[in-house]
Amino acid sequence: MWAKLALKLFRQELKRGELTIITLAIALAVMTVMTLSSITDRIGLSIEQKSNEFIAADRVLSSNHPFDDEIYTQAEAFNVTTSKIIYFDSMLFAGDEMQIASIKASDSLYPLKGDLKVRDTLEGDSYIVSQGPSAGNVWMSDTVFYSLNIDVGDSIEIGAAKFVVEKVLAEEPDAPFSVFSSSRRVLINIDDIPRTEVIQPGSRIYYRTLFAGDEKAITDYYAWLKPNLKDNQNWYGVKDRQSPVAESVNRAERFLLLAGLLGIMLAAVAIAVSAKRYCERQYDPVAMMKTLGGSRITVRKIYLLHLSLVTIFAVSVGLFVGFVLQGVAVDQLAKTMGNTLPSASLKPMLIAVFTGVICAVMFSLKPLLDLFDIPPLRVLRRNLGDTLAVSKIHLGLSALTVYLLMLAYSQNIVVSTILFVSSAVLAGVLFGCSRLLLSGSRKLGLKPSSSWSLAIASLQKRANANSVQLISFALAIKLMLFLFVLKNDLISDWQSQLPVNAPNAFLVNITQSERAIVSDYLTANSITTTDFYPVVRGRVNGINGEKVARSVSAQDNEKKDEEARSGVGRELNLTWIAEPPKHNEVTQGEWFSGVEGGETSIEESMAERLDIKLGDTLDFLIGSETFSVTVTSMRKVNWSTLQPNFFIILSPDVLSSFPATYISAINVPGESKRALQGLLRDHPSISIIDVDTLIKQIRSTIEQVSMAIGFVLVIVLLCGALVLISQVQASLQERMQEVVILRTLGARGRLIKNAILYEFFLLGVFAGTVAAVFSDVALLIVQYNMFEQIGNLHPMIWLVGPLAGALFVAILGYSMIAKTLNKNTQGLVRAL
Amino acid sequence: MTKLSQMNVIQVKDLTKKVKTLEGELTILSGINFNVKPGESVAVVGASGSGKSTLLGLLAGLDSISEGHIFLDNEPLHEFDEEARAALRAKSIGFVFQSFMLVQSLTALENVMLPAELAGHTDAEQQAKSLLEKVGLNHRLDHYPSQLSGGEQQRVAIARAFVGKPKILFADEPSANLDSKNGRLIEELLFELNQESGTTLVLVTHDEQLAAKCQRILHIDAGQQIDDRAGESFYVG
Repeated sequence: MWAKLALKLFRQELKRGELTIITLAIALAVMTVMTLSSITDRIGLSIEQKSNEFIAADRVLSSNHPFDDEIYTQAEAFNVTTSKIIYFDSMLFAGDEMQIASIKASDSLYPLKGDLKVRDTLEGDSYIVSQGPSAGNVWMSDTVFYSLNIDVGDSIEIGAAKFVVEKVLAEEPDAPFSVFSSSRRVLINIDDIPRTEVIQPGSRIYYRTLFAGDEKAITDYYAWLKPNLKDNQNWYGVKDRQSPVAESVNRAERFLLLAGLLGIMLAAVAIAVSAKRYCERQYDPVAMMKTLGGSRITVRKIYLLHLSLVTIFAVSVGLFVGFVLQGVAVDQLAKTMGNTLPSASLKPMLIAVFTGVICAVMFSLKPLLDLFDIPPLRVLRRNLGDTLAVSKIHLGLSALTVYLLMLAYSQNIVVSTILFVSSAVLAGVLFGCSRLLLSGSRKLGLKPSSSWSLAIASLQKRANANSVQLISFALAIKLMLFLFVLKNDLISDWQSQLPVNAPNAFLVNITQSERAIVSDYLTANSITTTDFYPVVRGRVNGINGEKVARSVSAQDNEKKDEEARSGVGRELNLTWIAEPPKHNEVTQGEWFSGVEGGETSIEESMAERLDIKLGDTLDFLIGSETFSVTVTSMRKVNWSTLQPNFFIILSPDVLSSFPATYISAINVPGESKRALQGLLRDHPSISIIDVDTLIKQIRSTIEQVSMAIGFVLVIVLLCGALVLISQVQASLQERMQEVVILRTLGARGRLIKNAILYEFFLLGVFAGTVAAVFSDVALLIVQYNMFEQIGNLHPMIWLVGPLAGALFVAILGYSMIAKTLNKNTQGLVRAL
Repeated sequence: MTKLSQMNVIQVKDLTKKVKTLEGELTILSGINFNVKPGESVAVVGASGSGKSTLLGLLAGLDSISEGHIFLDNEPLHEFDEEARAALRAKSIGFVFQSFMLVQSLTALENVMLPAELAGHTDAEQQAKSLLEKVGLNHRLDHYPSQLSGGEQQRVAIARAFVGKPKILFADEPSANLDSKNGRLIEELLFELNQESGTTLVLVTHDEQLAAKCQRILHIDAGQQIDDRAGESFYVG
């Protein structure tokens, strides 16, 4: 019987629109999570797939020792494809010419991801091939041809084996990003290795195995591999590499997660407000039901069924709309990017359903419990139960739920805490300020019959409700401003690293004598270039006179010197420069000011790792020469810029006397690339490193993320609007009563309309102002902690916040009340 | 336990109601004693704030008493918890309120069916239609409260009060929100149905004319019972 009654009441409440806002709020939370998770998931997978092309696999295992066969048999058992690669440096011989080069020997499955491109002649067009050279053949990069003065079809020798030069190696997906790596690349078949006889005891050989397969298979395989990994074996994916692509992927994921989080926070506020309003509207029917003999259990069953039905309906709607929306968004992205995005996993749907149910239950639980407690005596004493409405438990429970959702969704305790605490402080400050301001505004001395006076009186009268409204508005505006500014900063930060004329190639190994020739050549061919950075190879030998540990070879069973201070363990590329590089920020000390004996500037993470402080002395070893300099500054280096970056920079007076090669970043349009071949032919010691593909990948990532962020902003805006609507609706009944009284007293329509408009306007201005202050503070902290950006204040939002707040709140609030204002007084009385 | 006289449908003995306020304990009602026989009509009168509505709430089991006894339809109401009181209301009590108290989201027919449905009656719709016809609203069955006039809303409330054939009907200022013409019509309807169904009627009112129609008048002043006499003689005296 109770179910029939419950369904009847539910149908009527649904028809009357009482459940619309709560349904919309839950649906919006589900839709937000579903859409964002799916888009993030699909873009993430796409970016990862694309990025994986940069390591030619999904994962890589590297070592300086050969791998056991079990690595391969287990991979096969886990349905993971493998490809073997061996690297070594060796001398190439072609007649009388010889040249050292990096040799890569691959099997027939290489590459597992990405494209291998070759040319049939030095001048020909490149095309994609599905596998590396067959046994007996060799493919080489242009520079090797020029160095050895040979052509396609000639023969070369590597170790004891002879090879036919079959093709020009144009692009390898896993070519190193480092501009200091050799660009003399040679690819042979792994079956030819025994013929070369290059692998001897003590040879510096590097082994790499590429892995590809679906994510689960790889995860399962790694679970087996992990306990079996040796100290000299390193397992990594694209995210582990310190490359600009990996950096972009991580940032994009973090941003989208954060945006989703804010959407959920707003939807949660809307659910809490609308659930409270719905329950308050049910106080009388519940009191009546109890008076007419309805038991507490019956009432509980009726309203729990309502909540369940609303949740099921809203979650279904949210899932459906979210699914359609992410499909449209992804199609749009795919069209723009000219590629297809992989299907999303089930995870987004599960997270969305979980979020919807948690939001529905946790944010309606306390209002529902209050509703069950409504005494039947309310039928005689109309205000009984009203005091239950403001509940600290409800506030606490809602806040805890929001925080836990934030934690679960962002999996970042720092960001969740920053956003949560700043929002909580905002709420507290606003509550206090609003009470002060509202009581202070009594003394403004306005005429009682003016719209402004009525607006202020109305604000004062509903001081408690308005404080809550103000907090909701400010929170919504704060989160929207926060996201909008972060989006702009993030994208402009990315774009500033990759301007239209960003370098797309590096010229390395330029000698002092070639520097002027290269410069003239580039000018003549209208190729833009950055400065020429001198590079000197050297080693940090000691810190403050204390010797640093040198690197040891595990192969020769050397023991590490535990007593020695930790050092870099390898030769570094050192440079000298008079002014700090543009994309470096001096964070401690001062840039070179002429300290006697020489100065050095250290990248801050290296300084931290090696425990180097300002004023310390570093001992360098270059060739056989040693010298010491003082550390006078620390630098923050943005590694994601495609610029030559250095861990250690020395003052020109120290290093300029050492023989150096030069490096320069250039921007060369596709059609001009051929022109560079002339330069390389004439100066075979110079190498070119092409990073065009890398730049295209980063740009594509940025474009995908920018579009996704656009969708996110629309969703967050919708959530914000819903908060406002739910708040205005919560006060509609009271406003209608006021309108009736004012109309009855003869107030003109214009006066009432203006009073309501001004009331919302004032609320909006105040909420917008406070929101701007708090979002800027939260931005400063989050940008620094989460996105490693240098935080700046944003004066624009101090203007936009109050303006947007006033317009947003006034227009939306007024338009919701307008329908009521147009009713005649009799109609309003009836509706009350 | 005080013995209940089988002759009375309501028996009130030494009834006291106290509430806690910021200033301390406040006695709202004290020393109330009266009995009501089945089918009898009783008006509770008194100035605003005298405790009339509190008494009505206690008699109907909407609130718990502080001291004393109330027997309602042979049941010791003072010993019941909220759930038991609700069950007793469902079985034996009907209500009419000054502000009608209709559920806004239900139609006239559904409002009248509500108590019968809560009590688990299977013929709720039939009962409700028959009562709405009696109060002259068979043409307004599917109208919502907001689509009805004040008089019509109170007629729906009266029909609702009589559904399930309650033994006792409590009315709180049933005509106070209506104009005099509609007020009189409602009063007539209330007494007509009361007599027709043999229901005991206890009503709270300021209206002397309405109180005078009752068989007995109970006068409350400042929480004390100061008079209990026949309706016709009350105002004459």
